[in-house]
Amino acid sequence: MDKILKDKKAIFIFIAPALIMFILILVIPIFQMVYYSLCDYAALTPPEFIGLANYKKLFFKDATFRIALKNSIFFMLFSAVTQQVIGILLAVFLTNIPKGRNVFKNIYYLPSVLSSAALGLLWAFMFNPKIGINQLLAQFGIKGPLWLMDSKGFIVLPMWVIAFVALWQYVGQNMMLYMAQITGISKDIYEASYVDGASKPAAFRYITLPLIKPMMVTSLSLNCIGSLKFFDLVYNMTQGGPNHRTEVLATELYAEGFNYFKYGYASAISVVLLVMCLIVTLLVKKVIKVETYES
Amino acid sequence: MKESAVMKKRKKAVSPVIVVIYVFLVLLAVLYLAPLLWMLSVSLKDNAGVMAAPFALPETFHWENYMQAWSLGKLGTALVNSTLVCGVTLLVSLFFGAMAAFAIARMRWKLAEAAHTFFLIGMMVPVHCILIPLFVRFAKLGLTNSRFGLMLPYITFSLPMTIFLLTGFFKSMPGELIEAAAIDGCGIYRIFFKIALPLCRTGLFVSGLMTFVGNWNELLLAMVFISDPAKKTLPVTLTYFVGPYATNYVQMFAAIIIAIAPTVIVYCLFSNQIVEGLTTGAVKG
Repeated sequence: MDKILKDKKAIFIFIAPALIMFILILVIPIFQMVYYSLCDYAALTPPEFIGLANYKKLFFKDATFRIALKNSIFFMLFSAVTQQVIGILLAVFLTNIPKGRNVFKNIYYLPSVLSSAALGLLWAFMFNPKIGINQLLAQFGIKGPLWLMDSKGFIVLPMWVIAFVALWQYVGQNMMLYMAQITGISKDIYEASYVDGASKPAAFRYITLPLIKPMMVTSLSLNCIGSLKFFDLVYNMTQGGPNHRTEVLATELYAEGFNYFKYGYASAISVVLLVMCLIVTLLVKKVIKVETYES
Repeated sequence: MKESAVMKKRKKAVSPVIVVIYVFLVLLAVLYLAPLLWMLSVSLKDNAGVMAAPFALPETFHWENYMQAWSLGKLGTALVNSTLVCGVTLLVSLFFGAMAAFAIARMRWKLAEAAHTFFLIGMMVPVHCILIPLFVRFAKLGLTNSRFGLMLPYITFSLPMTIFLLTGFFKSMPGELIEAAAIDGCGIYRIFFKIALPLCRTGLFVSGLMTFVGNWNELLLAMVFISDPAKKTLPVTLTYFVGPYATNYVQMFAAIIIAIAPTVIVYCLFSNQIVEGLTTGAVKG
């Protein structure tokens, strides 16, 4: 019996296909990307090693990259805060209402499974200065702003609009994860606390919150990585415009790589993106310390 | 007795709060459903009608928008391509993922934990990072502009989630069954195919759906790898309608609805299983 489960050949056969694909399509390309990022590499000529020149240009000379970096960080912070807070809030609301829990849950989760390319087009149309929301506002005598074309301010208005659309689309995911965690908490704990005279907010603070902490690590890291690599909504709503003001790392990478064919330069952007993802994940793990509870 | 009295009293005292919560939830539900329903309404109007009164319901139903969007955007081809690419990706990644997860969760070897971590790190890597090296390599191998070439990264990037979820399911499986089978002289491959896989149906279903939905909506890789219109997938096809020159709104909306209809239908049919499986999988893992 032990022999069967320790069968080296079988283990190898089971693990090999996934491992080979992983190495060929994920691990090796990552090393290649790091190498390309140190090269001057336009699509047609072979890569030529130039050291850190790409990074120097990226951080010290490229204004568009700085905008993209700023927008991506803004987008990540905004998503992390709003999606976590609203996600937990919705999960608490839905686990506490007597009826209709499934209906609401399914409605809020629906956009998460839809194509953000499609929803991006829908919302771009909604925020069209002449047609959508502005026409609705005009009926109340309010002149709406140019939602997706304004270019004033540190974080431009279109970026806020995109961030809210992303919140609308993806908050259901966080809600769902937290709901699972909350329904897993034993009812007895709550009943006991109420008998002891605890109020609902107190129960939330001292029972729910500590017990959903492990989920917070998962949810928050997925959240941050998801928003760092965000592409579809931006591409379909503003294409990085007006005047590159809504560029994020992913759209910038796409533009440099596949509009201008600067493979080396685009690889340097990918390296920055990857490093940020790793740092954020480690930070989340460090900051939210998970104590284990008996469940 | 005393406890239930306390609970009852508390419930009554809380009811105004519950009412406020319901009002909030209903308003939020409107915010979620209104844009989708509005899109349906716009897709059945004509362009002049949209400009004049975008929020009015259509006076006559212009079903021909769907026909035009279908033929103009080559949605039929795109639908076939998406189904093919996502279908094959789904089967292969489930099969490879299940094998790896089984070895990690159930078999006894020193590096099992390390292998698990290794695959999980894959979840942290954005697909953008491998875009350029992979494109360069695939161009040399003649794998760009091919549906097969698109499947390879799709499968690879579906593996971490699949392995993560399935490891959780395999671990929670009663070990006695496997032990009993092993004692009865059942080989490891038969154990995997005849016992472990069937017992893990829910897990396979959930990770399958997640893989399928994720790849069905994937835009960036598909956009970079495929340039031949006959091989484009649905999200890429929709980008025809992006940009300053896209003014044919009714057809755009008809196209969007055709594109998201399959996911909406699947979601409505299986929403409870998706939600339940997803949550059990995530909590266990």
